[in-house]
Amino acid sequence: MNRKLASLAVVGLLSFSAAAENGNEPPQYGGALNVGTVYWPNSALSWDNADWAWKSNHDTGAIYEQLFAADLSKSEKNGGPYPFRAEAWLPEDALRGELAESWEWEGPLTLVVKLRRGIMFTDKPGMMKARELVADDVLFTFERQDASPKKIAGYFDHIESVTQRDDHTVVFELKEFNSEWAYRFGYGYYSGIVPRELAQVDPKDWRNVNGTGPFQLTRYIQGNIQTYSRNPSYWDRETLGGKQYEIPFVDALSYRVIKDEATILTALRTGKLDILESIRWLVVDHLKETTPELKWSRWLSNAGTFVAMRMDMEPFDDIRVRRALNLAVNQQEIVDLYYGGHAELFGYPMHTEFVPYYQPLEEMPASVQELFSHDPDRAKQMLAEAGFPDGFTFKAQVCTCNPDHMDLIPLIVSYLDKVGVTMEVEPMEYASFLSMMTTKNHGPGYFMSNGHTNPTTSLRKSLFTDQQWNPALHKSPEIDEKIFQMLRTRDEPERDRIVKELVVYMVDLAPYIWLPTRYLYSAWWPWVKNYNGELRAGAVRPGPIYARLWIDQEMKLEMGFD
Amino acid sequence: MDLLVRLVRDKPLGAAGGAVFVFFLLCGIFTGVLAPQGLNETDLYHRLESPSPDFLLGTDHLGRDVLSRVLYGAQISMIVALLAAGLATVVSIAIGIVSGYFGGRTDLIIQRFVDAWMVFPGLVLLIVVISIVGAGLTQMVIILGLQYGIAGSRMVRSAAVTVREQMYVHAAQSIGARSLHTLVRHVLPNVMPVVIVLFTTRIGLVILSEAGLSFLGLGIPPPATTWGGLLSGTGRTYMYLGPWLALAPGLCLTIVVFAVNVLGDALRDLLDPRMRGSQ
Amino acid sequence: MQAYLIRRLLALFPTLLFVSLIVFGSIRLIPGNVVDLMLAQNDVSTGQDRERVEAALGLDRPITVQYFVWLGDALQGDLGKSLWQGTSVAAELAARVPITFELGFLALIVALTTALPIGVYSALRQDTAGDYLTRSFSLLMLAIPGFWLGTLVMVFPSVWWRWAPELDDPPFFQNPLKNLSHMLVPAILLGLSLSAVTMRITRTMMLEVMRQDYIRTARAKGVGEVLLVVRHALRNGLIPVVTLVGLQAPVLIGGSVIMEQIFVIPGMGLLLLEAVFSRDYPVVSGVFLIVGVGVLLINLAVDLSYGFLDPKVRHQ
Repeated sequence: MNRKLASLAVVGLLSFSAAAENGNEPPQYGGALNVGTVYWPNSALSWDNADWAWKSNHDTGAIYEQLFAADLSKSEKNGGPYPFRAEAWLPEDALRGELAESWEWEGPLTLVVKLRRGIMFTDKPGMMKARELVADDVLFTFERQDASPKKIAGYFDHIESVTQRDDHTVVFELKEFNSEWAYRFGYGYYSGIVPRELAQVDPKDWRNVNGTGPFQLTRYIQGNIQTYSRNPSYWDRETLGGKQYEIPFVDALSYRVIKDEATILTALRTGKLDILESIRWLVVDHLKETTPELKWSRWLSNAGTFVAMRMDMEPFDDIRVRRALNLAVNQQEIVDLYYGGHAELFGYPMHTEFVPYYQPLEEMPASVQELFSHDPDRAKQMLAEAGFPDGFTFKAQVCTCNPDHMDLIPLIVSYLDKVGVTMEVEPMEYASFLSMMTTKNHGPGYFMSNGHTNPTTSLRKSLFTDQQWNPALHKSPEIDEKIFQMLRTRDEPERDRIVKELVVYMVDLAPYIWLPTRYLYSAWWPWVKNYNGELRAGAVRPGPIYARLWIDQEMKLEMGFD
Repeated sequence: MDLLVRLVRDKPLGAAGGAVFVFFLLCGIFTGVLAPQGLNETDLYHRLESPSPDFLLGTDHLGRDVLSRVLYGAQISMIVALLAAGLATVVSIAIGIVSGYFGGRTDLIIQRFVDAWMVFPGLVLLIVVISIVGAGLTQMVIILGLQYGIAGSRMVRSAAVTVREQMYVHAAQSIGARSLHTLVRHVLPNVMPVVIVLFTTRIGLVILSEAGLSFLGLGIPPPATTWGGLLSGTGRTYMYLGPWLALAPGLCLTIVVFAVNVLGDALRDLLDPRMRGSQ
Repeated sequence: MQAYLIRRLLALFPTLLFVSLIVFGSIRLIPGNVVDLMLAQNDVSTGQDRERVEAALGLDRPITVQYFVWLGDALQGDLGKSLWQGTSVAAELAARVPITFELGFLALIVALTTALPIGVYSALRQDTAGDYLTRSFSLLMLAIPGFWLGTLVMVFPSVWWRWAPELDDPPFFQNPLKNLSHMLVPAILLGLSLSAVTMRITRTMMLEVMRQDYIRTARAKGVGEVLLVVRHALRNGLIPVVTLVGLQAPVLIGGSVIMEQIFVIPGMGLLLLEAVFSRDYPVVSGVFLIVGVGVLLINLAVDLSYGFLDPKVRHQ
């Protein structure tokens, strides 16, 4: 088609679709959806949920379903309150039963979950025939997860037993209440329900990933592409304009793994990707200029960035030193100038979407607010008081896998330099970097990002004694007890109070040099419909979202893409 | 000295290549004097400014003066290049001469090891080795030096074999000259042409390898930098917002590698027209 | 000739032994072992958990035992299974090797078709402007880092014309056009960067040949330049071509790591990077072994063909 004509047609279509945005447009079936997900540089590490690799839930989340998932009908797009972008947190009101038809507390510690009837595992030659999902599969999954040596210690300690009352009723007996009950074995990272037949085959092999979800995994090239095809007998329906439709709408869904930022941006720009979920602020303006048709949404990163300081080591065992380094760094300047405003000064350990748990900095005690101010003179004075009038030198590891960290770290070096502290940077590739921390050989400084997960987990993993993801090696029996108390508290306002107290405690303690939390961007082409940048319908699990969006193939064609 | 005269007289292009290299070398040596700013003087209020009289080559994402960064980059690029190429040459000479001159079982074992070493892609070996020892200037020099040293020993060896075959060494051996003496007096001077050419071309190779490693995130740790680091790091990240960030280091890198290759070719023409198959 | 062949084959064994040691040892020396990675979520990794994971992966045996078991299996064509993905390493390689091979092969063709003419031309016109110009082009392509050229090609056509190389990778025989539109650009970039070396060899060879007495005689007899070049350059051109194949095979594979990353080609290079970063020992060893043995065999073929091409070697 003539270029000019094509662009005219586009303009026409755009105005048309704007009018039809509110869901009155009848959806179309078919087409292939290509996505650069939030984790576009990372290939699937493991296909086996029992490996307890967090990313498995991202890669298998369109195939394995869970007891609970996000109620996407309450998304902002549909006039609801939720953006569905937080990493692994669903407010109780945003929760719906996925495999669960209903659930009920029969006693204070007895949870009874009724499974939906007629949900089918798909046929997998060599592994299993199509059959209905039953309570036994839930039991099998739980036992399998619980028995794995890679399990997070204590993860299921609140559970006394999991039994089945009949084929469609599962009973969870708890030892004690745990406020994360719905997350830990309901919509969390490690709770995708697998069929019992998995015991007879190699669970690591991607060909054996077989579930009840909207898609089936049909092609996988490590480090390159994961293609899922439509499960034609999927049970769930999507309601659009008052009518129910079978889903998924698209025939095929591909997660593209691309290591190079320049390449993935090109892939988006040339329509080879329909959606790119994670884009750094610094290329957004350029993309808007060269590709004005794209639609956008902005989301606050679900990982906090900081330099952890090991509290069990000199010189960081002295709180004055840790606080001094926070004063040396000008966080507000980083937000305004380095990030050009595309960041929040205070977005970790609580995410701004963790309502009601998030408390803005202005409401924090003065001593907390002080850490986010910039006062090099006071910093020097504090260092002198702590016995370092001439500063000191320390080593800090950083991961080369994170371009944002690599860009930012010379700036931190320079801030610290101005108060006489020399930070020697040791860049490492991911595996070496990570194992430094998990074997506790890192530090004294450690430049990293840590995911928020959900309000309580964020605090538990960062503060609890000996946790793997507690890079400052914080250790305090009283705080451990407080964390238990937080998790045991059933009353949400009371829990909220404890969470807020712990956040103040943690930030004020300055275990890290606190750094701003950046915004990221998602972009998609206008032919992607029934979508508004939702990212997660569970724990980093976008599958249910992709099952509900559809592609306006005519529009795509008219815009010059096939 | 004689070589220099011949180079200028017979191979003006090669001589020009040499001059360019020396120029950048001097820039590297006198960085401290030449650079208007320090290596890591951040100033967020002047970030990503395009070239101007204040900042001749503009500023980067942290407001650092790109000219200064490129000069400091020259310093480290040149240090790495010269030291690694130097080490490579020493290693090549040591392995090549020992293997080629003594021959026999020593030669056999050494050569099988060299064979085994050479089948692995240099870059791939470097990735693995740097993952083991971590990134850093010393590591980089030693690894690149060993890598290219072992690979280059082949050429020194074949030159040494030729020398051994020649009469005067036989003569020296027959009158009972000690091996070391023979090596130094007779063999070494005769393999020098090969060594000189090897050394020059290694400089280019080392600079390129370092750039490749930087691209894969295994380069020199920040805030220090090299041309390869500047190009693959901020050069690529900010290619839309600040194309000048890539321009200067990219040009420097290309010009120097180009220049040493031209120089190497000229030397090759002058010294040893028969040197075939060497990189 | 036969004796030479046998000697050459015998020499292969110690080399292979060294290769297998490098292949097996290198990745296992890297800090951040696979068990640490697998236990990364396991908040409080107790010694017991660690032992269970190690035992499941067979990493609890002494390293020498592991080496000999691996070597024994490898000799029977079994390269083990990926520690993370459970897939057979041999099967994974069977899918990847042809892709990298195709990229390398195309790059080689590009390298030869640019290098041979330039080499011959610059030898015939030694020290003229034409010599300098053509050689400079070739050297320039060597001097620009591959990742940079690759990035430029990836970015600017997409900004100007919304064009980019394909990202999908159908096998060549299934869809040759789409396959080539994916492979050609990286192959050209890789090939051009290699052409300088071949160009040099060709040029040196030509210079040497042109000085030979019989050429001078032929020239004196008035044999046309073109005929001269074609007859002798072609014959002598074989040696540099063959040398190039031997010398450049590892360089090609190294370069393809970067090209595969930028152009999203699912070859061995990409697999290797994934495997190194996830410490998937059998996969890394498998890739290394294939590369090592492949290059050794290519070198063997090169050496043998020298024997045919150049009688001097046979008697050495």
